[in-house]
Amino acid sequence: MIAAKVEEYAFGGLVAAVGVFTLVDATTIAGRDDNVVGPRAFPYAVGILLVVTGIAAIIATARGKLGQAEEAEDVDENVRTDWLTVAKLVAVLVAHLVLIDVIGWPVAAALLFFGAAWTLGATWWRALPIAVVLALLVQVVFAYGLGLSLPAGIFEGVPFLDG
Amino acid sequence: MLLEGFATAAQPEYLLYALLGVTLGTAVGVLPGIGPAMTVALLLPLTYTLEPTAALIIFAGIYYGGMYGGSTTSILLNTPGESASIVTALEGNKMAKAGRGAAALATAAIGSFVAGTIATVLLTLLAPAIADLAVQLGPADYVALMVVAFTTVAALLGSSPVRGLASLGLGLFIGLVGTDTLTGQQRFTLGVATMSDGIDVVVVAVGVFAVGEALYVASRLRHGPIEVIPVGGKWMTRGFWARSWKPWLRGTFIGFPIGTVPAGGADVSTFLSYAAEKKLSKRPEEFGKGAIEGVAGPEAANNAAAAGVLVPLLTLGLPTTATAAVIVAAFQSYGIQPGPLLFTNNGPMVWALIASLYIGNVMLLVLNLPLVKIWVKVLQIPRPYLYAGILLFAALGTYAVNFVVDDLIVLLVIGLIGFFMRRHGYPVAPLVVGLILGPMAEEQVRRTLQISEGDLSALVTSPFAAVAYGILVVLLTVAVVLRLRRKKTEVMV
Repeated sequence: MIAAKVEEYAFGGLVAAVGVFTLVDATTIAGRDDNVVGPRAFPYAVGILLVVTGIAAIIATARGKLGQAEEAEDVDENVRTDWLTVAKLVAVLVAHLVLIDVIGWPVAAALLFFGAAWTLGATWWRALPIAVVLALLVQVVFAYGLGLSLPAGIFEGVPFLDG
Repeated sequence: MLLEGFATAAQPEYLLYALLGVTLGTAVGVLPGIGPAMTVALLLPLTYTLEPTAALIIFAGIYYGGMYGGSTTSILLNTPGESASIVTALEGNKMAKAGRGAAALATAAIGSFVAGTIATVLLTLLAPAIADLAVQLGPADYVALMVVAFTTVAALLGSSPVRGLASLGLGLFIGLVGTDTLTGQQRFTLGVATMSDGIDVVVVAVGVFAVGEALYVASRLRHGPIEVIPVGGKWMTRGFWARSWKPWLRGTFIGFPIGTVPAGGADVSTFLSYAAEKKLSKRPEEFGKGAIEGVAGPEAANNAAAAGVLVPLLTLGLPTTATAAVIVAAFQSYGIQPGPLLFTNNGPMVWALIASLYIGNVMLLVLNLPLVKIWVKVLQIPRPYLYAGILLFAALGTYAVNFVVDDLIVLLVIGLIGFFMRRHGYPVAPLVVGLILGPMAEEQVRRTLQISEGDLSALVTSPFAAVAYGILVVLLTVAVVLRLRRKKTEVMV
């Protein structure tokens, strides 16, 4: 409960901070004096909205009005947040975006799918072949079906895979 | 005009695109964790190679299909569903458990068809007339319409107006990043070159919907077998038609107007329809235990509202739901601005699109009535693979926009924001609507004030704008009164 409250303060603070940044950075936008509504006016309004709503969210939290977590079909309301899973998924996504330019899209994509499925509880020897086939399939469909070539990386020059 | 549209839409090629759209739409409607907004966003970069008419027919199919698919999930899945179809779950789930699943699915599918078709007829009749009127609206009037849309989407819907407005603010801020269209000034780009073109709508929509949702579900994933209630019973009984047809029609005429005015989208209409059916029913005691009227009415209302949303979308360029906002982005990516001039400038395309809605509804009836068993299988996809797939296609869709890795970094950041928003009750729809309407709103405000030479009163002196603000004030007052009253009764209880 306390953790949820701290997090909620933090998010409200983040909203207000984005607002402050908007207001401060808006002053650096060069505007023309002859025009009443230059490129600054709207950013100021958005900044004020963010600061006000961010602070209001913090006040609401302090008064015990916590935001209601969203419901979804696959969400179990009775379990605690599994931060390790979230961290692993973020790590898998980071690895994906780093690896695209290094070893090519097919391998990076297979790793993303495999890593995510495994993290979420799939059996690794079942997830691995699915990941490889899926990634190669998308690569081929993109290269030949849509005419968009994803970087082939280590498969450069390989027929069908290198658009 | 509509006949010409049918002539276009009935070409084999376009029929295939429509079929692709409705099939995809039903699939994403059935699957938890994916919705039509996210699917359209994901497909945007992949359809750049198609001509606009074909792409828009696919998107319209996804939009309608998602509505049909959602009801299957809420009737058969043993867990609470998404908000738009949660009312269906109330009665439909009970019916399925009592072995009357087939009847519940059938009344939902046929009701959706009846409502979807009638609402599309209303759209066909109303849209050109409204577009004719809308041509006369000035920039100040558009500002008023957008303010109404912002306020209703952010503050009137959802449980926390403050969090809705904060979400809207975040969307407006993201919309500001980039080069100012009127003066060419860089804004909030932090000096990063790739930011000067702004943050792509696709990246934001996919981040907040796909990545945000996947991370959120993963953090509290329901483990164990997926409990799907087996489809039981026969649906074609005498009582079925007798008890269903009136709720279908009532639902249609409740849903369509609510979808049309920027005041609610699907959720509100389903609740109203449910309440109406409960009140009018001769057997109110059945409600809560599996009353077929409680499925038929809200499902019809849901679909009629979805068609109603297309009226302001096509005639004013005003999206009032997240999916509609993404569809506006799709139009813009083809250099087409939805609005009053759409029917004059892109007549053949719009009519082909509307004709495809009729065709799509027929296809959806077939897909969801005799073929419902297939979707039950789709519902059982193991969740690790489902969410891994969502993440993979989210990354792919984002990367395919510009083929730069920078976009994936933005995707991840926005995904994390979407994750925390879901944890703390910040609705994501206002963010997307703000992102897409924000730049348009700014342009209209500045045009108004340029014409009036800085006189702020120009924003409210146009009769249309004045009426719009008046209605908004009334709506807000009613909302505040209702909220206070609810609080009072809670205190008394």
